[in-house]
Amino acid sequence: MKLAYYPGCVSKSTGKEMDASTRAVSAALGIELVELPDWNCCGATHVSHELVATGLAARNMAQTNLPIMTACSICYSNLRAAAQRLEEPETLEKVNAVLDRKYSSAYSSAKIRHALDVILEALTEGDERIVVPLKELRVAPYYGCLLTRPQGVYSPQFPTILENLIKRLQAVPVDFRLKTFCCGGPIFMPQEKAADDIAFKILAEAKKAGAEVIVTVCPLCHLMLDAKQKVLEQKMGEKIGIPILYVTQLVGIALGLGPEELGLFMNSVSPMAMMERVYARLSE
Amino acid sequence: MPGDEQFKQEVLRLAGHELLTCIQCGTCSASCPTARLMNPSIRRLIKLCLEGKKEEATHNETLWLCTSCLLCTSRCPRGIRPKAVVSALKDIAERAGLQGKDAAYEKFFLEQIKDYGRIAELALTAKFLLVFPQGAVQSMQMGLELLPRGKIDLKIEKIKGRDEVKKIIEELWKK
Ligand code: SF4
Ligand code: SF4
Repeated sequence: MKLAYYPGCVSKSTGKEMDASTRAVSAALGIELVELPDWNCCGATHVSHELVATGLAARNMAQTNLPIMTACSICYSNLRAAAQRLEEPETLEKVNAVLDRKYSSAYSSAKIRHALDVILEALTEGDERIVVPLKELRVAPYYGCLLTRPQGVYSPQFPTILENLIKRLQAVPVDFRLKTFCCGGPIFMPQEKAADDIAFKILAEAKKAGAEVIVTVCPLCHLMLDAKQKVLEQKMGEKIGIPILYVTQLVGIALGLGPEELGLFMNSVSPMAMMERVYARLSE
Repeated sequence: MPGDEQFKQEVLRLAGHELLTCIQCGTCSASCPTARLMNPSIRRLIKLCLEGKKEEATHNETLWLCTSCLLCTSRCPRGIRPKAVVSALKDIAERAGLQGKDAAYEKFFLEQIKDYGRIAELALTAKFLLVFPQGAVQSMQMGLELLPRGKIDLKIEKIKGRDEVKKIIEELWKK
């Protein structure tokens, strides 16, 4: 399978392990990625002008005819929303008037793929490449907002794709009430307190549900739950201590890829104790 | 005071005419992760737009508490996009020269895309702290987590198509 790859800006900074693990897992599963040659920022959640946001996304999509894969839910949501808006001839005309390479109306939101869905498709039931089945590992599937919104292939409120993937790795998805609740990330700089409250709620809920690890599909969710976890614990006076893995990191562990390749040393909350449990259960 | 009809029409143009069908059911507010802190609520914000109350609709903290999570938009029984209303109001406020830390953050964000084509978080944060020094503690805490793990980009990557990106932003902004 050959796909165009859109790493997104965080791949160069706070989401380096997301990028590394995405590339490593794709290689291991025979998914060929061709990076978009001159990609630009999708605008994240900070470009309020819809037509500008659409134009920024269109410039990326016009760089390839292949389906585009991204591991970032925000990029994914923005590209999909833009492709949907570009179905209106008036929007298409306005946008193409400012693009060097034109967006083709033959492209569509169906061509925008999240790494999660590409990986699930590549992994068969009982896949032999899963050399480290994650037996009994209790995983909280955290979707956040933008993987499922705007509405595409997944239910915006009751998606199940992450649970399906978790089961395919032979782990156990925990019942996680806040799985599609926002992490607060988009407003964490200017509205710190509001964002902190929301993020902590999610961590506390996952702990209550008995999760040994939370799996995320978005670099901003990851930042809020992982990089901020220690500070949130101090602020709220409650220990959480749950590692937060990108879905690609979790898959990579099951595929037997090394911690270096998967960027596991870049996570703030170390997943090493969790991994020891995984290995211990393997030999039981 | 009569409502500002021109303002109302501008919101409808940017966020969609389905806004007129709002039944004030409050599903949007009930879905919102920051509803507790919002005043006016997202439901009331829609009402203010329909009443043409420009001042109240554009000068409030609600716009900046929206996380863009789109749950309101998924759930609205009328197919209205409350988040698009928030975006439209931010736009209108920013055009009218609204200043403030939140507006500044969005402005710097867009400026970076215009200049480099991408976001370099360190430079963005540095700029933001000049207008909002109170954010320094959090930034330091984050820096302590991210820097030793090699997750702060010290150099700014520039894309080749910067002129095109600049054109996209400047031309489409007017539309
Ligand atoms: S959910 Fe829709 S109809 Fe109900 S109050 Fe909100 S915008 Fe109006
Ligand atoms: S998109 Fe904004 S207004 Fe709508 S529910 Fe989410 S935070 Fe609230």
